[in-house]
Amino acid sequence: MDATTGTAPPRAAAAARLAGPLRPLWPFLLLLAIGLAMPLTGNEYWGLITTRMAIYWVLVAGLNLIVGYAGQLAIGYVALLAIGAYTTSVLAAGNVLPPLPAFAALGVAGLAGAVFGVVVGLPALRLRTFYFAMTTLGFATIVTQITLAWQDVTGGGIGIAGPMLPAPFDTTWGFLYFCLGFAAICTWLTANIARSRFGRALVAVRDAEVAAEASGIHKPKLLVLVFILAGALAAMAGGLFATLQTYITPDAFTFDLSLLFFIAVLIGGRGSILGPLLGTAILTVLPEIAAPLAAWSTFLYAALLLVIVLAMPGGIAALIDPRNRRNLPENRVIGPQPAALDALLGRREVPAPLTLRGIVLAFGGVRAIDGVDLEVTPGQVHGLIGPNGSGKTTTLNVISGYYRPEAGSMAIGPAPLPAGKPQGRAGLRIARTFQTPRLIGEASVLENVMIGGTTDGRTGFAEALLALPRQRQEEREFEARARLALEAVGLAGLAEARADRLQHSELRFMEIARALMLRPAFLLLDEPAAGLSTEEIRRLGALIRGISRHGTGVLLVEHHADLIFDICDQVTVLNLGKVLAAGTPAEIRVHKEVVSAYLGA
Amino acid sequence: MLASIIASGLAVGAVYALIGITYNTMFATSRVMSFTAGQLGMLGGVFGSLFTLRLGLPILPALVLTLACCALIGVVTEIVAVRPVLKSLDQHLYVLTTLAVALLIQHMTAMEWSTEPQPFPRLLDLGSGIWDEKYWLPVAVCILTILGLEYLYRRTLVGRAFVAIAEDNFAARALGLPERNLRIASYALAGAIGALAGFAGGQLLLAFFANGPLLNFYGFIPVALGGLGNNRGAVIGGFLLGLFQQAANFLVGGIFSSVAVFTLFIIVLLAAPQGMFGAQAARRV
Amino acid sequence: MTITRRALALGGTSLAAGAAFSTHLATPALAQNEPIRIGWLAALTGPSSAPGIGFNRGVLFAAEAINAAGGVKGRRVEIITRDTQGDPTKAVNATQEMISQLRVHAIWGPTNSGESLAVTAIMARAKMPNIHPCVVDTLIDERRYPNAFRLTPSNTQWDDAVRSYCLTRVNAKKVAVIGDTTGYGVSAVNASVAAFQRDKAEVVYKANIDATQPDMTPDMLRARNAGAEAIVFWSVSTGLIARLLNTRANMNWDVPFVGHPAMSSGEVGSLVERPANWEKVYAIGYKSCSYDASGNLPPRTAELVRRLAGKVNLQDSLLWWVSSAIDAVELIAKAVEASNSTAKEAIIEHWNGLKAYPGYYGTYTYSPTQHNGYPTEEVVMSAANSAKNGAFALAPGY
Repeated sequence: MDATTGTAPPRAAAAARLAGPLRPLWPFLLLLAIGLAMPLTGNEYWGLITTRMAIYWVLVAGLNLIVGYAGQLAIGYVALLAIGAYTTSVLAAGNVLPPLPAFAALGVAGLAGAVFGVVVGLPALRLRTFYFAMTTLGFATIVTQITLAWQDVTGGGIGIAGPMLPAPFDTTWGFLYFCLGFAAICTWLTANIARSRFGRALVAVRDAEVAAEASGIHKPKLLVLVFILAGALAAMAGGLFATLQTYITPDAFTFDLSLLFFIAVLIGGRGSILGPLLGTAILTVLPEIAAPLAAWSTFLYAALLLVIVLAMPGGIAALIDPRNRRNLPENRVIGPQPAALDALLGRREVPAPLTLRGIVLAFGGVRAIDGVDLEVTPGQVHGLIGPNGSGKTTTLNVISGYYRPEAGSMAIGPAPLPAGKPQGRAGLRIARTFQTPRLIGEASVLENVMIGGTTDGRTGFAEALLALPRQRQEEREFEARARLALEAVGLAGLAEARADRLQHSELRFMEIARALMLRPAFLLLDEPAAGLSTEEIRRLGALIRGISRHGTGVLLVEHHADLIFDICDQVTVLNLGKVLAAGTPAEIRVHKEVVSAYLGA
Repeated sequence: MLASIIASGLAVGAVYALIGITYNTMFATSRVMSFTAGQLGMLGGVFGSLFTLRLGLPILPALVLTLACCALIGVVTEIVAVRPVLKSLDQHLYVLTTLAVALLIQHMTAMEWSTEPQPFPRLLDLGSGIWDEKYWLPVAVCILTILGLEYLYRRTLVGRAFVAIAEDNFAARALGLPERNLRIASYALAGAIGALAGFAGGQLLLAFFANGPLLNFYGFIPVALGGLGNNRGAVIGGFLLGLFQQAANFLVGGIFSSVAVFTLFIIVLLAAPQGMFGAQAARRV
Repeated sequence: MTITRRALALGGTSLAAGAAFSTHLATPALAQNEPIRIGWLAALTGPSSAPGIGFNRGVLFAAEAINAAGGVKGRRVEIITRDTQGDPTKAVNATQEMISQLRVHAIWGPTNSGESLAVTAIMARAKMPNIHPCVVDTLIDERRYPNAFRLTPSNTQWDDAVRSYCLTRVNAKKVAVIGDTTGYGVSAVNASVAAFQRDKAEVVYKANIDATQPDMTPDMLRARNAGAEAIVFWSVSTGLIARLLNTRANMNWDVPFVGHPAMSSGEVGSLVERPANWEKVYAIGYKSCSYDASGNLPPRTAELVRRLAGKVNLQDSLLWWVSSAIDAVELIAKAVEASNSTAKEAIIEHWNGLKAYPGYYGTYTYSPTQHNGYPTEEVVMSAANSAKNGAFALAPGY
């Protein structure tokens, strides 16, 4: 893989490279070498098992992006294996059209798989997890029934012969090498996606969907692309499966097989490539060396699934991930670097101010916001304070598009800001943080931060799939920018650490770094000081000031009155959804109603 | 012929509705959709057959024992597969744990009971033709169950506590309701309802291990149609599904009827993800 | 690296097979004392396992009997069992293992059509002598699969027996053909309908019923309204059979059921609401395993039953499962004995020359151009509810 190419980012030369999913590479090469060495045994049985493993992996590699990365629980993926197997076999046999060469049939199967991958996946865009799992099972049933009923084409219950590949792939060993090569390519392709902004976005959709939206990730578009890829791979695996089996009938596509694919991903561990690869290998070989247990295989799969989920949710990947063992330094301090902020944000054109006029939003009859006016000026920090339930966070959510106000208007300068559409905000350079940090625990801090720049990605899915030079260049730029952002907030030393090992205060700064990735025109901060020590709050204040001085308009929701009065240029006080007062900190400090209602002086 | 389609449609519809209620009962207190719902229905038939025909118990003790066994399995499910993953509900790990438990139950049944359908006894020996007990018994049980649940939820303290938990878990806990005990109780209740479904439908479905996934799917459709957590919606959805399925069996034959049901299910879900009577999704931010 | 696996066979069957991972040694001429290794692809667990268990009893009995008598020219018979659970994928793996790693001399099985279809080409590639009890017609193709022999009748032979019984003995001019929605059910119904139509019989109703469908009344009403005089039935689902029979009784219809052997399974007897519901059901049976009017088995079968007494349980099994499996093992043993070799070609050549070989289950005749060796005239119809010691009374009309 090309994880070693490219130059180290200028400001973090000492730091380790961003670890790709194929790092370290040697386990993959070892597995491949074992596969390639199989003919030396002269034992075609183990050749068959290895071939089967490679074919299953082609499917699981794609499914891994759906289940392991995007977290969509597609249980019935055997449907796509069946579609691919039948498409390839029927076309190669010439039941409907003149017979196609095996490779052409395999290619058409890939296209069919891409189409049906989307059809099977579509419900995921609208439905909740359990519902989606059920619909994939439904598809698996439909496919089986159709192969049975459509006897003229599929052979019905009698089945159909699988395609023979041409020489030199028509022998056990030739076919094994073909499948190994194909599996290696699939590993490379899916690893390319996994380490690109698409892969990071998938994980973000899985673990931090709200943050993903705020970063401009369009979930439906992203998932459709992945469903196309996974569907195509699964269907081509199906074509190879048909060749391996030599003959296919509907009863070859059992629920057990579907379960094997699904569980291979989960015991492998989410968000890993090596884990599911090992999972696939284990689940393919285990029944062969534990034949007495054949009758209990489903039982064992189920027990394994339960144990994995309850006892080691990270799967094999968590066991072999060095990031889990490396100790993070004790007594570390967060030391924001203003110089990095300069490099990151630079001097930019000052945008027009963000204005809210007469915003009204009610939840079930209760007016959470009742006619709020607000103006966030670039280059300034605007504090938004008020008692609990006064509508502060709700106002933030209206601006970031999570809520659609019932009345009122929003605009950036003269241009109206459309209500709703949270995914569109990143494109308008509006970034935000959350009251509870939204993070991807299993990803590194660096990857978490890089998510924030997703909307700036210009290269397409195909470029990412093949890791073309332009895409690699863009990745390097993302990484450099993310390191700058981390340095700016003072977390440069933790770039490679897993995010879920960070302390709470560090996560708050990480969220700011993620927001800075966007080089935001407007930055919405939702109680960033909550849970921070006095010293950390002081540094946070300096950081926020620094950000605003680079031309960003900051809207700061906060309870710490000291912080607000220290760093804000303007303050708006909300009470019961209405603006109680607005002005400079000095004005607010002496505002009679504010003092009695809120500051309680 | 129409009469027999309606009779069997309503009968299987009632079984599906009861499984739907089983889903809902577990969901109400835990926000978890459990794959074990259909397996509980399957076990209702298997335990029923085991206690009456193999062990020779009279109907009533057999029914009580069946309900008790399934209630126990419900509680075990809660302890093994639900409680440990409740903390991270948004990761949907419950889909995996309950699937695992469902498979364990199904496979155990296949190995220890039989892989062939086994007979289920006549319970009351009443009626014949389309008025045979095997048709009206599930319908009667379904109606009694929904009435009983309405009474429980509206008139009893425990029932109101269930409702409180279902509507606002945090608030209910803040009020000092024993959330964990109520959850265990609701899983026991769900187990008993699933068992009732299998017992009442035993003469139709027989005591067969493969009924589990079948009921799981067909019991889920009423929930999807009627809206999550809505028992009345599940009953209406169940009867509609039963009638549609039997009519499809008759009109397009065995192969295409399941395709018709699945296709309709997916289309309806895509058109109305909240179901016919469902509420909007909760706030996320 | 030694990989040992022990097949889970009921009754502690299989002789553990250890095999060296990378030996290239095993050539047939190696040792005249080397055991005769017979691969047995059994579906011993999982949904269609009842026949597999029956066959297995016969296999073990035959192997023990041969070994007790000193083996085949001093060579022991070793049965190597793999449980496929009827799953084609597991069957493919097990077949390749038997060919490449365990180096068996011949294979008996698999026993279900789906798995058999999947492994036939693989065995043909290895020229592995194979004898199996699957009925699907396409499994026998003397040109493409010169190594594969069928021990039982083919589906066409079954179909012929059922059709001829319907047309000549029941005198049904109009029939309904019903099967389940599995692969077997769909293809068997289609083949059966086509054959009836070729014989100018009228198929008034054709249906594939989902085996889980709880109520069969609409289908049966349609068949009756269409004027069916016999119902031809193709499915292994005992639940489906019982529901159809119960529905027939509730309708007060006395139409005969004719068809698949599963209708005579003991499970059906426990599922019908009244024993009378199982009357007028005629399932495929075999002359060798049928009682005549005076309640006697053919002499050769009677002798076998005496030998089996106390050793093999016939109560929950069918006699033909046991006797056909005995025939399969003996056919392999006889081939080795006659050709004095375990070479693949020698076994196949011996089988190709068999003329009216008298087995317990049937009288087999094979030739290089005919690997369907079971005589059609030995396929009969039995009264489904007449099981006694795994054998049946002949259906009325014989």
